[in-house]
Amino acid sequence: MMQFTSRSAPPLPPLLPNGLGFCTDNADASKPSVHRSWPLPGLLASSSSSSSSSKSLGGFNNASCMEQLLVHCANAIESNDATLAQQILWVLNNIAPPDGDSNQRLTSAFLRALIARASKTGSCKMLTAVAARADADLALHIHRFSAVDLASFIDLTPWHRFGYAAANAAIAEAVEGLPVVHIVDLGTTHCMQIPTLIDLLANRPEGPPFLRLTVPSLTTTMAPPMLDMSYDELGSRLVNFARSRNVAMEFRVIPSDPNDAFDSLVEQIRVQRLVSEGEAMIVNCQMMLHYIPDETVVGAAMAAAMNMNSAMLSLRTLFLKALRSLEPALVTVVDEDADFTACDVVGRLRAAFNYLWIPYDAVETFLPKGSEQRRWYESGVCWKIENVIAQEGLQRVERLETKGRWAQRMRAAGFRSVGFSEEAAGEVKLMLDEHAAGWGMKREEEDFMLTWKGHNVVFATAWVPSL
Amino acid sequence: MKRDHQDIGGGRGGYPAVTGADNNHRNSFGVPATVAIAEPSAVTTASSLLSSGVYDFRPIPPPIPASGSRGVYGADLPSEMIESPREPKRMRTCSSSSSSSPGGIASGVMGLSTENASSAKSAAGLPVVVVDTQETGIRLVHALLACAEAVQQENFKAADALVKQISMLAAAQGGPMRKVAGYFAEAIARRIYRRCPRPGSDRAALDSPALDDLLHVHFYESCPYLKFAHFTANQAILEAFASCRRVHVIDFGLRQGMQWPALLQALALRPGGPPSFRLTGIGPPQADHSDALQQVGWKLAVLAKNIGIEFHFRGFVAASLADLEPRMLLELESGNKGDRGDDGEEAVAVNSVMELHRLLARPGAVEKVLGTVRALRPRIVTVVEEEANHNGRTFLERFTEALHYYSSMFDSLESGEAETAEGETASAAEEQQQHRAMAEAYLGRQICNVVACEGTERTERHETLGQWRWRMARAGFEPVHLGSNAYKQASMLLALYAGGEGFRVEEADGCLTLGWHTRPLIATSAWRVTAAAAATAAVTAAVTTR
Repeated sequence: MMQFTSRSAPPLPPLLPNGLGFCTDNADASKPSVHRSWPLPGLLASSSSSSSSSKSLGGFNNASCMEQLLVHCANAIESNDATLAQQILWVLNNIAPPDGDSNQRLTSAFLRALIARASKTGSCKMLTAVAARADADLALHIHRFSAVDLASFIDLTPWHRFGYAAANAAIAEAVEGLPVVHIVDLGTTHCMQIPTLIDLLANRPEGPPFLRLTVPSLTTTMAPPMLDMSYDELGSRLVNFARSRNVAMEFRVIPSDPNDAFDSLVEQIRVQRLVSEGEAMIVNCQMMLHYIPDETVVGAAMAAAMNMNSAMLSLRTLFLKALRSLEPALVTVVDEDADFTACDVVGRLRAAFNYLWIPYDAVETFLPKGSEQRRWYESGVCWKIENVIAQEGLQRVERLETKGRWAQRMRAAGFRSVGFSEEAAGEVKLMLDEHAAGWGMKREEEDFMLTWKGHNVVFATAWVPSL
Repeated sequence: MKRDHQDIGGGRGGYPAVTGADNNHRNSFGVPATVAIAEPSAVTTASSLLSSGVYDFRPIPPPIPASGSRGVYGADLPSEMIESPREPKRMRTCSSSSSSSPGGIASGVMGLSTENASSAKSAAGLPVVVVDTQETGIRLVHALLACAEAVQQENFKAADALVKQISMLAAAQGGPMRKVAGYFAEAIARRIYRRCPRPGSDRAALDSPALDDLLHVHFYESCPYLKFAHFTANQAILEAFASCRRVHVIDFGLRQGMQWPALLQALALRPGGPPSFRLTGIGPPQADHSDALQQVGWKLAVLAKNIGIEFHFRGFVAASLADLEPRMLLELESGNKGDRGDDGEEAVAVNSVMELHRLLARPGAVEKVLGTVRALRPRIVTVVEEEANHNGRTFLERFTEALHYYSSMFDSLESGEAETAEGETASAAEEQQQHRAMAEAYLGRQICNVVACEGTERTERHETLGQWRWRMARAGFEPVHLGSNAYKQASMLLALYAGGEGFRVEEADGCLTLGWHTRPLIATSAWRVTAAAAATAAVTAAVTTR
């Protein structure tokens, strides 16, 4: 029996130019295609592709390594490289438990999304029994909140409160002295902004206006948080609350959905505007606009139905132009500052990983581990991740765009930015003081930007029709 | 006329029980009752060959086109068949009644000789017989088993005749059954003519470990068995190494080291930071004296460096694991005492993927190796073995078991390909086919070894999980349950990428098996030394290092 002891090394095999792995055994030309190369996250981390934000999640190596592994996994899935995908999935399963630290929980959510994606692609056949089991494991229980629960849930973090505070201040200023106010509330949190606004209006020196509130009830898009009551019931509760503040209020629900650019809502409003001319109308968009399909989602059927060349069809453009034609007194646009519209899943993965680490990081400061609310909170983020990664076409609704892009759209549709007053800034800061120190606000020209540890989170902008 | 095959073969009851309802298998072994009994007049018994005329088979009727050509299969049946002294009366009877035979298939007896065929043909405008694949499959199996029994009884003349018959039947068959039959037929032929391939012969080039490694890699790529082996073993090793700062894996069959990148990556990113990792890889001598082990070791070292885990490698070339001495591997550890610092004792994992069964070819070898493993005081021993008993007492037992096992194997390889994605390119599909062809060659070599070789050359001595459990217990090991985590992961990964819907992961008393439909084909188990055995080993070690 022979024994080879270690001796001087042969020259290191050259690395492939894309850094995707080490080239194996060039000497043996007969078996090049057979050998696998293992992706080297450590190497790739040094090549600038991961943004700096992920590094703040405790440990430079860990966060960027997780991201690179996820990217490689996504690539393996997309290219049907079953062996590599399986290996990386196995590694990720072990290093990212769903109950670990922020990094691990974030990675675990992405892992689940990738598995969901893999199970849809052609080369994977989720066996029915295993699929059912996997679904049970992966299934994100979408909690249905009661109004009270939802209100206290929203109040936990500035994520939504920031936009509310800025918008409410701007609205209050815009309707000074007006006897009737019509607000179209396009928000994802079921009118949770409105009670505070009612209070503001109730305390006007000139007395409250008559408040007309129009709200779409979504017919197709079902993103968390979900409410456990009908909008009719919600509406009557709001009206009662308003009454208790001596504010006369009318509540109207119109079934409408962002996936057709709120077509029925716009039409109803148009008709109603004919009747009540001179009424100030305010459109309050709180993270709802990004559910309107962008240019990358074009259904041929939809294009044919609208009698347009699908390349020209942009529901976002259509909606904003329609809005402009309604001559609103003010449009507030609040949304998450990230770009999830890349057509390739790897691009979206990077974008989502480098943005959605924020809620996982922030939650440590306001919800204890194991609490029910924390579970709801994280499952909401999981839902977003799964939607961005595993869904395609009209099912993929989380199509975030950055503030710059939305501003471009607004200007193209005929609006100009008016920004916020100092009072508004003061209100927002006051609100932020109630939350953890990591939250901050910065002003970008006229706009407000919510930040977490200096990273952009949510932007708030205010617009009026340009002449 | 249905033989009860339950007594043949070990493990799970050897030859499968006859179940007409067993429609899942593409090449069904089960003989539907109807076939065995029907049309006795058309059946040519092989009573001249067998003690109890049980393996009924009928030669396939060549389709007879109007032009009167001999038929698809060309060659006549061997003359022994026709001239067998006990047969002619029966055959003549059959041929003369061919024109008025009750069923279409019965007319097939004409294929026995050209004269018969042409005479029968001219007698009546006989229709072209459509060959029923399922039925020819059954006949093929019967022929194979008849052949094996002939070999067992050393009736090599009859066996040889049957081999030729098998080839004809196989040619009529399609799909995996044809290939399996082909390999088995070739193996029997080798056995008959004493042409068991052995290393060092003039066929050395084809039998080289390098070729074996190449085929092994294709086998790895084309089907889930080895991947399953690696995931499940790695899971046990990863969990056993939790919170250990120094770890040592001894791989009994390093080959291309494909098991280790995933484990290295998981260790590198585990919470608490990576351990320092040492790998000892064992491999067979290379014909061209190249240092294959060291090459693999260096590739893994480069990977380890890039993912940030401290890595050491040592290769051992050994013709047999029994050549390893405990002291050699133990010395390894104590030799590095100086480098240890205060990271604590090294945690050892011994990993054997389809290596232990080879030791059964030499008496005492497996006991020696398990003793060596005990002496290393491992935290975990992972064992993956083929789930079959191909080491039965008699040749016929082994043959029958192997036929069943490899039929399932080949079936599963084939199905994986049938389900390729719509989106897959032509070249990807081609690559899959290449993998499969090489994987089949890899399995073919095993078949050859099981069937054609004996003694120390017969190294593919697979035994069942139950048998290994007994061996391990006797050698002082107790099972470590693989856990529900491992099971869920394996199921999930299989579900995503198994390629065929027939794969099944099952849990059996803490061990995991992967199989095709109802048949487990590979089993992973994990072990540790019992406290009692550890105490004994410690005493022995203390004595020997003095």
